[in-house]
Amino acid sequence: MDTKISRRDFLKLAGSMAVAPALPSWMPRMAFAPQGVEPPGDILVVVFQRGGMDGISAVIPHGDPDYYHHRRRLAIPEPEDGSDQTGIDLDGYFGLHPSLRPLKDLWDEKTLAIVHAVGSPDPTHSHFDAMDYMERGTPGEKSIPTGWIGRHLQTASWQNESPFRAIGMGGVMQSALRGPIPVTTLKSIADFHLQGGTAELDELRARLSALYNLGSPLDQHALETFNAVDILAKIDVTNYTPSGGAAYPETEFGMAMKQVAQIAKAEIGLEVACVDIGGWDTHNLQGQLDGELPMLLSELSAGLASLYHDLGERAKRVTVVTMSEFGRRVYENGSSGTDHGHGNRMFVVGGGVNGGKVHGQWPGLAPDKLFGPGDLNITTDYRDVLGEIVEKRLKNPKLNEIFPNYTDWKNIGVVQS
Amino acid sequence: MTISRRDFLKASGLMAAWTALSACAPNTETPPSHAHATPGATQAATSQVFPEFTQAVVPSAMPILDGEALLQHTLRRLTFGPTPEMLDKARSMGLEAFIEEQLLPESIPDPEIDALLQPFRTLNMTVAQRLELNENSRSARELIDATILRQRHSQRQVFEMMVDFWGNHFNIYIGKFLCKVLKTDDDLKVIRPNALGKFRDLLYASAKSPAMLVYLDQAESLGESPNENYARELMELHTVGVESGYSHHDVAELARVLTGWTISRPNNQKIGPGIYYFNPDIHDYGEKHILGTMISPTGESEGMLILDMLASHNSTAHFISQKLARRFISDSPDLAFVDALSQVFIDTDGDIRQLLRTILNSEAFKSSAGMKFKKPLDFFISTLRVTDAKMTENSRKLYEQLQLLGQLPFSWLMPDGYPDVEEYWATTSGMLDRWNFGFMLASNVIRGAAVNLSALTRDAASPEDVVDVLSIRFLGSRMPDDARSILVDLASSNSLDVIIPSVAGMILGSPHFQVR
Repeated sequence: MDTKISRRDFLKLAGSMAVAPALPSWMPRMAFAPQGVEPPGDILVVVFQRGGMDGISAVIPHGDPDYYHHRRRLAIPEPEDGSDQTGIDLDGYFGLHPSLRPLKDLWDEKTLAIVHAVGSPDPTHSHFDAMDYMERGTPGEKSIPTGWIGRHLQTASWQNESPFRAIGMGGVMQSALRGPIPVTTLKSIADFHLQGGTAELDELRARLSALYNLGSPLDQHALETFNAVDILAKIDVTNYTPSGGAAYPETEFGMAMKQVAQIAKAEIGLEVACVDIGGWDTHNLQGQLDGELPMLLSELSAGLASLYHDLGERAKRVTVVTMSEFGRRVYENGSSGTDHGHGNRMFVVGGGVNGGKVHGQWPGLAPDKLFGPGDLNITTDYRDVLGEIVEKRLKNPKLNEIFPNYTDWKNIGVVQS
Repeated sequence: MTISRRDFLKASGLMAAWTALSACAPNTETPPSHAHATPGATQAATSQVFPEFTQAVVPSAMPILDGEALLQHTLRRLTFGPTPEMLDKARSMGLEAFIEEQLLPESIPDPEIDALLQPFRTLNMTVAQRLELNENSRSARELIDATILRQRHSQRQVFEMMVDFWGNHFNIYIGKFLCKVLKTDDDLKVIRPNALGKFRDLLYASAKSPAMLVYLDQAESLGESPNENYARELMELHTVGVESGYSHHDVAELARVLTGWTISRPNNQKIGPGIYYFNPDIHDYGEKHILGTMISPTGESEGMLILDMLASHNSTAHFISQKLARRFISDSPDLAFVDALSQVFIDTDGDIRQLLRTILNSEAFKSSAGMKFKKPLDFFISTLRVTDAKMTENSRKLYEQLQLLGQLPFSWLMPDGYPDVEEYWATTSGMLDRWNFGFMLASNVIRGAAVNLSALTRDAASPEDVVDVLSIRFLGSRMPDDARSILVDLASSNSLDVIIPSVAGMILGSPHFQVR
């Protein structure tokens, strides 16, 4: 394929510039693009909530009497106007946890869409299997080694050569990104450079780069690292001030979201960013209005809302989607927590979403409507949500390659074409 | 469907073929020999590093090592980095005798460790005493410090390697609630006494480890609505594995069996706080069915019965064997070998020493040189060992580096433990962090670690000498010619005393040093 050859030429070129990086200080996305190809769609930001979020505490079905019946200790009280100790009503049936307050503004301006009773159809209650299936994009099937985002990047008609086309925040490569397209992992933009005095640094770097040009399988990683260092060197990190009144939480997640905004604004070819936020495995004392879960929800919502506001006009071309490997048991356990469940909810944020609406069918929480040991049922396959985003927002129609073996597509209408 | 780049590299054995060129050369004065690498492997390594992703390649056969090359390979795998002293010891004892001695750690004097651990008083305190400390994270900090010091300095390297292995297998995140003060006991009373013993004893001890019961919420599990967290991971991660085919019903029933397995509260006067005990008042005394077996309600012994079943289960034998093979052979160990290892597990009732002997004697092991990418902890400790870094009192800054690299002990949140595969760790930011750490350590700019490179290179009079002395010290052999000439070039670019730290940092950052 031409694009692959041109990618390698690009890398060779970049590698030979090791001593004096000569990349332009402002590098428009187009600089990486092959001639005569349509520009890509939105930037996609995927937030993975690891551990299994309790979806019915985040988006409460306050109109479903069974919710209050099952959740004696943990249910979020029915919305009351002006109270910060109750749910925040959305549509008369669903409401947000009060710790998700920052998301209410997005809901009101129709840039937040919610999908409920959504998830991966595989019945596993194992974190690791559930995450694995979800990120591969092939529930119940482990034979395909790549991830759904990796396959999207691979099959898109637009092939952009930037090392920042796909980034894994937190220094890890999320398995959804697995595939032939290189991924840059990043913890801190400010620290992403070789340490040492400048004079000797160029010298060291040239030798190091030569050592990684002798045929080691690690050479590719090294080359990608050098390229990424060169480009990030042009981003002013010390003077970055978020726009739109964004106040990112001072946490790893908050910092990751802030850096996604920086990279998006720097126009260095970003198409997909994966961000993790962990700690959702609330078996014990999960907390109702205060405690472990509410703190996480507040961190999540502050991060999502800050990214949206910080991006300003650019948010029209950004889609953020959140997911978690499964929801939690509808029945509380004896230690004021919840065990692993099934159905969950997803948030979709951006200028191109059909916001202000809870999408999907609510299966209800009556005991005979529950799945397996007492879990929320799934009425929407998470691939329907992702597929729609990939097709309509990322402009990649090759869903049969990105989600192979899935044929039962349903139109959710969660994003605009 | 096409395969990913990293899978491709794994499948083709490229990493192994490539490192065979550089890592197997004996420690002699002659240039490294390429005789071990087959022509096919050389071809693959030099011309096809970035293959297209649409084709698979038949793995190249790797040479089966012996003599000095096998000795070095074995020590790279079994230790946190072979020092020249340890290599010499293995050479003089003979490899087999060296391994047998390592498998009996109590027989190896370790006076340096005794002295180094002297200041860490929380290691020998009771839970009650640790709880009374004003500084509530002190015991966690001291345990992390002690663990790193042991890995760096202990003569009982195989033992420390297995302590790390089981510590990850039975992972406990030290930041969770009382785990801050309880993990010290888990390390001392569960992991260390059994790290080279029988898997069964390890499992039994872990199931009554207060830190584990807190970490996986078992201590809070009540009869009428049990908490499933520990029951699930006991099957999925500690014993039979998720592929073994148990159902959610089995998990729920096991959670019922384990109700009552709890720990004493902080104000318990009778037995003291944070001690395991069985509380019949919160046990579910109904009948249960697990993995097709009916369990009569007898209390605590129901749990013992299940632990016995799990320890004896063929799936456990397979699961543990696969994990050991992944640690000591390669990320994707040969399935036939894993089956053979499982049989040894079954025949010996999970005798960990016997499993290790089987691995070390296997062709799979002897032909796996360089196939393992160092985890950040492997990389970090090995740099300290080969540079003979002295760890000074205030080690905060040094451990921040390990945290940045991504693998501070006992700090992995999820119960599966730190990943042990290259794919997870070989990333852009991961490479950069390693390079920076190597250069900074060699330049003596990290507080908490001091290296004396002029002592290590005392006899080196020329740029060539410096490169060779440091390569032999860090890698066990001289660099292959192509890499060596790059380093000699660097070493010639300034006066020796100025340039030596750069040369050292460069070797630590080289692709050759990233594998074990």
